[in-house]
Amino acid sequence: MISTTDHSDHGTYRIKLDNFEGPLDLLLHLIEKAELDIYNIPIARITDEFLEYLKDIELLDLQAAGEFLVMAATLMQIKVRMLLPKPVPDEDELLEEEEDPRLELVERLLEYRKIKEVSKTLRSWEEEGSRYFRRSGGYFPDQEVAAALDMGGEVTLWDLVQAFKNLLESLTPTLELEGMPDEQYSISDLMREIEEKLSRKHEFFFSSVFTGLPSRKAIVTAFLALLELIRLKRVKVFQNGEFADIEITKWEDNKR
Amino acid sequence: MNLTKVKAIIEALVFASSVPVSLKDLAEILQLHEHTVKQLIYDLIAEYKDGQRGIRIKEIAGGYQFVTDAECADYVEKLKKVPRPNPLSQAALETLAIIAYKQPITRAEIEALRGVRVESSLATLLERDLIQEAGRKDTPGRPILYTTTTRFLEYFGLNTLDALPKIEEWTDETLLDLVMNSD
Repeated sequence: MISTTDHSDHGTYRIKLDNFEGPLDLLLHLIEKAELDIYNIPIARITDEFLEYLKDIELLDLQAAGEFLVMAATLMQIKVRMLLPKPVPDEDELLEEEEDPRLELVERLLEYRKIKEVSKTLRSWEEEGSRYFRRSGGYFPDQEVAAALDMGGEVTLWDLVQAFKNLLESLTPTLELEGMPDEQYSISDLMREIEEKLSRKHEFFFSSVFTGLPSRKAIVTAFLALLELIRLKRVKVFQNGEFADIEITKWEDNKR
Repeated sequence: MNLTKVKAIIEALVFASSVPVSLKDLAEILQLHEHTVKQLIYDLIAEYKDGQRGIRIKEIAGGYQFVTDAECADYVEKLKKVPRPNPLSQAALETLAIIAYKQPITRAEIEALRGVRVESSLATLLERDLIQEAGRKDTPGRPILYTTTTRFLEYFGLNTLDALPKIEEWTDETLLDLVMNSD
């Protein structure tokens, strides 16, 4: 199974002022908490409350702090514009109405509120989806690999597995004798390694994917990495003749 | 071939596949009209549901697939000895919601809607195969466009994108009037 690591917005990346996902989220919270009319926001009051929250920001992360500060500046700008006396309209200009300085902000808030609603629905589906297990078992896209190989033509998934099995058998005695310490290899590490090799050599034999790997585990991981690259259509495999070695090339390079 | 036999074949086909089998594929294999196959599938789905069984046939990502019954989840999990994938972070989920509705969409457009940077959310979503890059927008800088994947549908148990909840038009025409008159 291919494991994914969630290196997303956990930990230090984003300051969560009491779990707000950003300035719009905070603003929406302030409006809803006070049961204010979103179409008629009392800007002065909301600005004060917003700034009150900003006091809690620790300047650990300038990026996140910046996003909140930009919103604070926007709020203050709107506040000032609303305080300015409106020019007395000339008779000619009577029909020209001045745009409400809050308009743009209100539009953004309404859009953001819809996003939040939709993400609630998605969350409940995610929870529901994690309650049943699909017949395929884990997420291992063997059929996608087979489909990607089909497009490549000459080599089938069966060929690859067979080649891998032979290779593993031929290497096993060496591996067991040497008893090298088991280094940690991840699929994504080895995917990167294969692609680096390809950027230097453009094509190489199937067996050289595995050279220099110290353990059975590392070799299996490398094979999974290769399958994943095939599935993602980043590499292509082909064979010149029935008994020739399987070769690997970049997907876009292959013009054969 | 009687219909009971056809139903058994459909059952076998769905069982044998590790990805959802489409109605089109089933109809082609069976040499029957899609609506006939659909009727039989729905019969099958109902039989599993009414039969108090541990498995179900579910309509996912435009096809049909066997899944375990949700009520058995806690036990199945013990067998598999693999944790469920981490739920998506709220940030990633909001980003995904935007992409689902507004695809294809660029990073800058998503950021304008969320009011925050979304780089790391996009990285997570790409890594989990829930979104994909889909060409570039024909504007200055030629920014990358993102769309959701088939995996997205599978992950949320959706049949098609049309199954997403309907929301009123994102840009509200009447909004302007409301704001203008609220003074």
